[in-house]
Amino acid sequence: MKKSLFLLFVSIILLFYGCASKQASVPLSERIARQPEQQAPVGAGVKGKEGAIGEEELMRAEREKQQKAAVDAASARLQDIYFDFDSYAIRPDDIPVLKKMADWLATDQAVKLVIEGHCDERGTTEYNLALGQKRAEAAKDFLVKSGVSAKSLGTVSYGKETPVDAGHTEDAWAKNRRDHFAAQQ
Amino acid sequence: MSRFISFVLFAGLTLFAVGAESKVYLDVYGQSYKKITIAVPPFASEEKPRPEISDLLSRDLDMSGFFVVAPRSLMDNGLVGEGMDKRNIKFDQWRSLGVELLCKALVQEKDNGFSLEAYLYDASDGSLLFAKRYRATPSEWRRIVHRLADEIILTVTGEKGIMSSRVLFVAGDRRHRDVYVADLDGYGPRKLTDQRQIVVSPSVSPDGKYLAFTSYKEGRPNLYVVELATNREVYADRQDGTKVGSSWMNAKTIAYAHILGKVSTIYAANVETKQRTVLMKKEGILSSPTFSPDGTKMVFVSDMHGGPNIFITDLATGETKRLSYFGNYNTEPAYSPKGDLIAFVSKTEGALEICVMRPDGSNARVLSDGGINDSPQFSPCGRYILYSSQMGKKTSIRLMLHNGENKRELKFTGNEETQPKFMP
Repeated sequence: MKKSLFLLFVSIILLFYGCASKQASVPLSERIARQPEQQAPVGAGVKGKEGAIGEEELMRAEREKQQKAAVDAASARLQDIYFDFDSYAIRPDDIPVLKKMADWLATDQAVKLVIEGHCDERGTTEYNLALGQKRAEAAKDFLVKSGVSAKSLGTVSYGKETPVDAGHTEDAWAKNRRDHFAAQQ
Repeated sequence: MSRFISFVLFAGLTLFAVGAESKVYLDVYGQSYKKITIAVPPFASEEKPRPEISDLLSRDLDMSGFFVVAPRSLMDNGLVGEGMDKRNIKFDQWRSLGVELLCKALVQEKDNGFSLEAYLYDASDGSLLFAKRYRATPSEWRRIVHRLADEIILTVTGEKGIMSSRVLFVAGDRRHRDVYVADLDGYGPRKLTDQRQIVVSPSVSPDGKYLAFTSYKEGRPNLYVVELATNREVYADRQDGTKVGSSWMNAKTIAYAHILGKVSTIYAANVETKQRTVLMKKEGILSSPTFSPDGTKMVFVSDMHGGPNIFITDLATGETKRLSYFGNYNTEPAYSPKGDLIAFVSKTEGALEICVMRPDGSNARVLSDGGINDSPQFSPCGRYILYSSQMGKKTSIRLMLHNGENKRELKFTGNEETQPKFMP
């Protein structure tokens, strides 16, 4: 008796199961390709490596300017650099920008810079804060290797929290994936 | 395979609610289930009618995702006025409306007190499932209604509802934000911080004593822990670099990521002794630590294989395994307190979707419907997921069942709202 009841249950359940309504979730594999599991770890540093780091050491002149005018003048010479999606590698076309900045910073030691790393909105909040920090660190690393004193360079990440362009287009995202250099006295 | 069969059996048994020991009408762990139709006619009252009370109960039951609430327009006045006594209830008429459960209640307000006497009937045979009496001060009537809703959900699903829960979240504009707490139904948002700054990743200790968050009030993303009762700072990490992604390992210990220079570190800090230990240190990015309910495993995000992916590490042995192999952007993991699922965000073509997978990385499923979704968090019972969702410009908080059904937008302050968590 017990067994027949059990079988009845199973058959009714299967009947119900068979005509279950459309499920609210879909397998992730239908939406995106699965990666091979045996993928070898790539060195963590690889993504962050600059294209071609300039090795040249630059002469340091001794000049000091601590006026506000210097900061303003500095800001005028600072230019944002941009990143590819989910990358903290310096782009080759930004290397001249950073080198120019390094040349100038190395001769004007009164200027202190805070490098702000930013991301676009197509990422999650916490990971973008980490990524923004790495973007700022990448520029700092480049400048230090180009002869700028590490003491005069600070880093801060804003993640995706303060976009420069509030739009939701490829163009806006490209502008938001940036390092911004802020001069401080 | 045997696991699958036992799961199906369980679902079937509970659907039919057989046996005296099984009062469960609905199994909510199946991929799909039939909702129970419940009627909540306006409650009887000795003083002036208070339709908002039965309305709130109806909204709670609807929001739970387990019920179809019979519309008031279906009930004629004779049915509404039939009274509370079981002998006077016309169960056959309720049945003819398709009603399976009937909740009747009497509201009494006197001597500066509020009481609710509630009865839940099974309309199929007129049996009384429970009778409860709640008392409170008149201003607390909402709390009483949420408790009644949770009790009805317990009776029907075998587990208490979440309608008495409160939600922790960040609200404000881009540069001026604070941490808030409010009832799940959006009532009574209250500020917990006074930062007016960029604030991210709030979390409250399991005993409700401490609030942790990352704020820019000192110019960079520092992690702060305050005692909620006094608003006193008990712990702060002001090191250079980014400190973010707090998760409580126990009532006193918080884990978070610190990113600086070439390395990232996940710390466990006792906020009372201020003692800080390193759980993990690696080149590249580490973020968003979260822990298995038994505390033996840590799930986190790392870019050690290229894009961000989700990894699990055994805290005792240090053995680390990658869980996510879907595309190349998987972040913000959250371990279910039940231990059966990990929720996370996966970047698919054109969207960031809330997904769930088993703790071994298998059976990954997409639950959200496009847009930029972030910060999934399970309810303490593991049946619901809170998350934030950006559709177009506006970001708001949403609630859904762990299988992606019953998606609801929650509204609290009218401003941008992000990073929700259930308040312990």
